[in-house]
Amino acid sequence: MKRYRAGTLLLASVLLLAQALAAAELRVPHLNFTDQRLGNGLRVIIAPDHTAPVFAISVTYNVGSHSERPGRTGFAHLFEHMMFQGSKNVGKGEHMILIENNGGDMNGTTNEDRTNYFEMLPKNQLDLALFLESDRMRSLAVNLANLNNQRNAVQEERRLGIDNQPYGKAYLEIDNLAYDNFAYKHSVIGSMADLNAATVSDVQDFFRIYYAPNNAVLTLVGDLDPAEALESVKKYFGDIPSQPAPPRPDLTEPEHYGQRRETMMDPLARLPMVLMAFHTPPGNTADNYALQVLASILSTGESSRLYQHLVKEKQLATSVEVQADARTGDSLFYLLAMPRPGVKPEEVEQAIEDEIAAIKKDGVTDAEMEKARAQFRRQQIQERQSDLFTAIRIGEYAVKFNDPDLINTIFDKFNAVTAAQVKEVAEKYLIPPQQAVVIDLPAQQETTAASR
Amino acid sequence: MKRKFFALFIVMLAFGTCSVTLLAQGPEESKSVPLSQVVRLNRAPVNKEILRVKLPRPREVKLDNGLDILVLERHKLPTVAFMLWIKTGALEDPRELPGLAGFTADMLREGTTHRSSAQIAKDVDDIGASLSASAGFGSNRSNVTASGLVENTDRILELMSDVVLNPTFPDDELAKFKKRELADLQQMRSDPSFLARERFYSVLYGDFPASEVAPTPESVNNVTRADLDRFHGEYYAPNNAILGVAGDVDYDSIVPLIKKYFGGWKNHPVSDPTLPPLPKPAAAKVVLVDRPDSVQTNILAGNQALRRNDPDYVPLVVTNHILGGGPAARLFLDLREEKGYTYGAYSSMMPDVYPGPWFASTEVRTKVTDGSMQALMDEFRKIRDEDVPEKELDESRRAIVSSFALSLESPTTLLRSWLTVDYYKLPQDYWDQYPEEVAKVTPQLVKETAQKYIDLDHLQVVCVGSGKDIKDVLKKYGPIEVYDTNGKRIE
Repeated sequence: MKRYRAGTLLLASVLLLAQALAAAELRVPHLNFTDQRLGNGLRVIIAPDHTAPVFAISVTYNVGSHSERPGRTGFAHLFEHMMFQGSKNVGKGEHMILIENNGGDMNGTTNEDRTNYFEMLPKNQLDLALFLESDRMRSLAVNLANLNNQRNAVQEERRLGIDNQPYGKAYLEIDNLAYDNFAYKHSVIGSMADLNAATVSDVQDFFRIYYAPNNAVLTLVGDLDPAEALESVKKYFGDIPSQPAPPRPDLTEPEHYGQRRETMMDPLARLPMVLMAFHTPPGNTADNYALQVLASILSTGESSRLYQHLVKEKQLATSVEVQADARTGDSLFYLLAMPRPGVKPEEVEQAIEDEIAAIKKDGVTDAEMEKARAQFRRQQIQERQSDLFTAIRIGEYAVKFNDPDLINTIFDKFNAVTAAQVKEVAEKYLIPPQQAVVIDLPAQQETTAASR
Repeated sequence: MKRKFFALFIVMLAFGTCSVTLLAQGPEESKSVPLSQVVRLNRAPVNKEILRVKLPRPREVKLDNGLDILVLERHKLPTVAFMLWIKTGALEDPRELPGLAGFTADMLREGTTHRSSAQIAKDVDDIGASLSASAGFGSNRSNVTASGLVENTDRILELMSDVVLNPTFPDDELAKFKKRELADLQQMRSDPSFLARERFYSVLYGDFPASEVAPTPESVNNVTRADLDRFHGEYYAPNNAILGVAGDVDYDSIVPLIKKYFGGWKNHPVSDPTLPPLPKPAAAKVVLVDRPDSVQTNILAGNQALRRNDPDYVPLVVTNHILGGGPAARLFLDLREEKGYTYGAYSSMMPDVYPGPWFASTEVRTKVTDGSMQALMDEFRKIRDEDVPEKELDESRRAIVSSFALSLESPTTLLRSWLTVDYYKLPQDYWDQYPEEVAKVTPQLVKETAQKYIDLDHLQVVCVGSGKDIKDVLKKYGPIEVYDTNGKRIE
């Protein structure tokens, strides 16, 4: 009896060990970081990585296009451009010149939920980066000439990305159709009229309300000493005054009662496009993670369902993509397909509906779940090669979900999703009342062949 | 191509301050916009010391069958990447089959003697790996890359060797591929940057194969399994290839593994490239591609420049960096930051085994086409005619050398640098010498380099935009040819 029990215990502990090893294997390498707030509310996150003599800094502000008011769409992004137009001790355009001339990279980006500014530099230029970021957080300088100039640059950005491209307006229309709440209904890039309406005092107000240390997260990743780096951050940012907490937009989406659809005529397109979106819960929720697994099973890699079925077997489409976004509020699950020439968009739309119906009926297989986990884990590890990418992601997790440690735990959340949950979220969210469909058609059918 | 639309879809979700890409009636406009001058206050603390870094070297070995192997150990994360460079690509496409090298590469994943297309896709995806092959136009290389987590190294290498050594190019998969490819060809014609590239390479290279930038519907329709077999049989040989690996591997165990999967690859003589002579550069002109619904003009202006192993390469890198190498360069600061004509203006060079092009590119609203053309021409003349101020040159040299530190981060970027040395037969200490070579460039040399490679007598300017609005304006800049978006000359 005793012997038997010892044997059982031994076996049990071997099994536990094996499980622990298997679980340990299915992780991403842990990233150590410090996380603290300065007296003025600036959240500072520092992650040392000594594998290359470089560092990345990201300053993420808790403001995006969702905070814009009617009549000023596109403003958060236009404002982002103004942050490169000079501050008390940095001239117009000098920021870009200083980073470039010292071998670095830099940019700023705006989306619905956040705005970030980042640089990547050789490790001996930490002071330069901190000086530049602190000076514009403290003392942005604004004048009409610079505003007009960047208004022009942003309007060209809109033409380049939207107005002069096939399908450009359809990409904006899907959000407009899907949402009733203004916060996410309007585009990040904004309308030309609203961009024209922006004034210098709008810029000043926006700066005062949103660009305060207590509304930002500063992330440093790279070849630096965390304690010394923190002292430098305090030196440059410590005396920037905090501001009253900014207002937060109400992101609640009213209930929807039926499918919405629209057909657009696109003079720049040569082939139609089918674009649909379903409302889903916000990012960093169990259901949103399950929808991300579903998106992966539908379209990540050439073995995915939509690629194998629609592109390869039925040959209805030339490409398909699915993306589950993870906003701080009501999010969208997008499906996009390019019908093959001669195939009607309705046929492609029906084929997508059939695939969704199959998942609602039979769910997904264990093999598909394993594959999605393997793909997600590889992606998470791959992205960590870049200190800049890591800094950007930590800043985003901190601002959007108040959880910078998602850099370490997001894979576990993805890994925890079960096949049953994937079926459930398909049944619960991929339904007509939650759905918007945009069909983009070429405005003129041109002759096809290229001659040269 | 498949990826292109998704990339666009992602771009629309986040708008940035600038992006580095490859690729009018000015007077009243400039009156309404007050000048917005770039200002330098020089108060920011800059560490004057340039962080000197040495690129870590790969260890090299040659297999008995002639395959050159480069192993670069990088142990930050448990990832591995393999890059196979076959030294034959699109420049060897038969005239009547543009795209053959690309079709061959694209079809490698569509079936082998061991696996169906679907099985390959499943085996790659099940371990979260990537496996892709391509042969870009204007280059004489076919590339196969495979990457993933280091725990799957054996499987990744086995898959990669299977598609490289044993492809069968099944007829049914080829038929499906053709349909996708024909659709892609149609889609491309709606992209203004494609239309600009197509016309630009055509006017620069004429009958030389670098003039091709895409297959033709005829080449897609006509290509057969036998063509693919022949291209693969002739050029996919170990003695015509370099295989690099970078990541969390060690030399002593990865080389035997590579031998296991690539050691049996049979070698055979591969004929040298048979490139025709380059056409003489044509006299400067303007080519308009009339795209009636355009709200912008895409401008692409440049000429034939140099080979990758040309001694003028480094001087041209510095010269180009000053003119249009990024958001601190003259074109960006002038056309965007001061004039507000564009979201971005850059210049680039694509040196290769033949004299690849140098070009400037920008996209501007239709109304400022004239102003933008004028600004570009002014900048070209300035860098040719005036000495670059010593300070500006110094900053440019400093930027190029300092940015070396950033390249240490990515194992694949590093590996590509060393594959470049092998492929273009550069000296083995090339990257060690590079900073000194950059430091040697003088204002006089910049001027001479600009005069040689920014060749205004032979500058070819391609504009894609609304013909009715810009045709008359463009006539000011040289004799004009007009094409439609189907690539047909109409004037």
